[in-house]
Amino acid sequence: MNSLYFAAIINSTFRYATPVLFAALGSLLCSRGNVFNVALEGQMLAAAFAAIVINFYTKNMVLSILAAICAGLLVSSVVALFQIKLKAHDMVVGTTINLFIQSATAFLMQIVFGSRGMVQGHGMVSLTKIDLNFLSWSPFLYRAFENLSILDYASYIIAIIVYFYLFKTVRGFHLRSVGIRYNAAKSLGINSQKMQMNVVLISGILCGLGGVSLCMGGVTVFVENMTAGRGFIAMGASSMAQAHPIMAIFSSLFFGATISLSKTLQKVINSYFTETFPYICTILAITIYGAISKAKKKK
Amino acid sequence: MTMKCNRKFVTVASPFFAILIGLTFGAAVMIAVGTNPFSAYRQMFSKSFFDIYYLGQTLVKSAPIMLSGVAAAIAWRAGYINLGMQGQMCVGGLCATLVALFFPVKSWWVTILCFCVGMTAGAIWALIPTYLDYKFDVSIIICTLMMNYATNFLTDYFVSAPIKDTAGDGLAMQSPQIAEALRFYRFSPKNAMNTSVFLSIAVVILIAIFLKKSKFGYESKMTGLNREFARYGGIKSTKIMFMTMALSGALCGFAACIEIFGARYRYVNAMFTSTSYSWTGLMAMLIADYNPIMTMVYSIFLAGLAIGGQALQRSVGLPMQISDIIQCSITLFVSIKLLFNFQKLKINKKPNHLERDEEVEHE
Repeated sequence: MNSLYFAAIINSTFRYATPVLFAALGSLLCSRGNVFNVALEGQMLAAAFAAIVINFYTKNMVLSILAAICAGLLVSSVVALFQIKLKAHDMVVGTTINLFIQSATAFLMQIVFGSRGMVQGHGMVSLTKIDLNFLSWSPFLYRAFENLSILDYASYIIAIIVYFYLFKTVRGFHLRSVGIRYNAAKSLGINSQKMQMNVVLISGILCGLGGVSLCMGGVTVFVENMTAGRGFIAMGASSMAQAHPIMAIFSSLFFGATISLSKTLQKVINSYFTETFPYICTILAITIYGAISKAKKKK
Repeated sequence: MTMKCNRKFVTVASPFFAILIGLTFGAAVMIAVGTNPFSAYRQMFSKSFFDIYYLGQTLVKSAPIMLSGVAAAIAWRAGYINLGMQGQMCVGGLCATLVALFFPVKSWWVTILCFCVGMTAGAIWALIPTYLDYKFDVSIIICTLMMNYATNFLTDYFVSAPIKDTAGDGLAMQSPQIAEALRFYRFSPKNAMNTSVFLSIAVVILIAIFLKKSKFGYESKMTGLNREFARYGGIKSTKIMFMTMALSGALCGFAACIEIFGARYRYVNAMFTSTSYSWTGLMAMLIADYNPIMTMVYSIFLAGLAIGGQALQRSVGLPMQISDIIQCSITLFVSIKLLFNFQKLKINKKPNHLERDEEVEHE
């Protein structure tokens, strides 16, 4: 009984980690290209909303995912246009877009669904789940990997792809060099600006996938401002992983675990306290990480 | 000289154009959802600025917005991106309410005490991420934002159980009302207008003078323009960093107190999250390009937009988020203005450097 309970926590850790991992991958790609993308939150939220709207009308999973990717791309192209092409202040663009998406989704929700706060039901589909039947000999493992969606698995594969892109391909090498010395890369014939814009667009696609897994990963539901800071948690995860995709898997799993624990502990501790858990853990984690890296520097 | 005029023109005119574009964008959204934008805008602005009842509401709403906006401007212009205004407001407001409720004496000077407590709490809340940044290189941006979310839950806990108002049906999550002696003077029971608005405006003007004339104002501005250079010039950047953030947090606490002692008279569940004063203030100060006086002007404008949006929701049924959408698009278009200035500086790099430096001083 107890071990199965533990398995359930592991299971939900995987699920909560997925959106964070997607956004963290987007964030680390941006920071590799020396772009400070603060609009991850908005990209995810827009994607989640687009997925729900298309899901509502078509009840088709693939179309919903595509819609989310398009929405993520759309928002990120605005970011790329303002932040990189027009050289507006990154914090201004990011914060404004986050707020814009937050109010725009709330606005459209009342127009499209005629309801405030929350949308669920309406026969909307969720992501296809994969059951690992060969694990059925062990109830613990079976429970831990039960009902994970295709995107949960895809996120790890994409993390590995990002790793190969960054460290094993020429384009990845170019991207990193743009991040390190913008003008030096430019003088060697790399189109630095285009490279940075592309990387923002890729982060839009990744956040799009993150948004889908957020709203359709378990029960299909959209809540006003449902990302609740996950874009920023992902930025924390990416900086803790030192912008390394494989390390990002682990840091995202850590944040997934904190979210999962906060939901589990609600039965024991007042939910007002448990809800703060992921955020306080983020602060603590980046503090400890900062302390360690500062101590290393001193050596 | 012509360049001087040009620059003045750009700083005044470009927000104006951005507002026009933002309103046009809002009109496009209204047409898309089948509302007549002309009548909608007329209703919005005629109510929020020319109807005495709504004008009172607009001004009362603008008070915490302008204060948190100036708080943000103080931190941002020094290069410290404080996004935790919301959390600092929550903590400041809650602490002030606690003192107001439990301090045995109910007299006018207790209000001052409450304000001091609220400002101290806000300042401490802003100093936590600052210290973490100073000591462990923690990003202030992420840290202040995470603290917003955490603080919202923690402060809402207080009105959910320990200091929940049990009078009435007990369904509303709010604290009991504060004593009447502690409140700001209200001119008429029918109108929200009260003396706290004048206090806020006075504080904003004082801060504008302080930032322009004091040593601290100059040093924090230099830190924002170039931190290394400021340090090279003998400015103690660590001290400036802590002072700037403390002042920013204290102002947020002050804003929260203004809202509680001037308008609401109690701490209500999610009172600073759902109203998003701090974000509107942030937008106002971005449009105003960190200028406190202009932040005040745009705060009143944005507050009017929000009040008009609420009125519109009641009469036409258009979701009130339309005002947030307009507000965000204005800020986005203003952000291009920064580029406009940037290009201008580049073009005019050839003429006398000294003249340009002088100009920066004069602004």
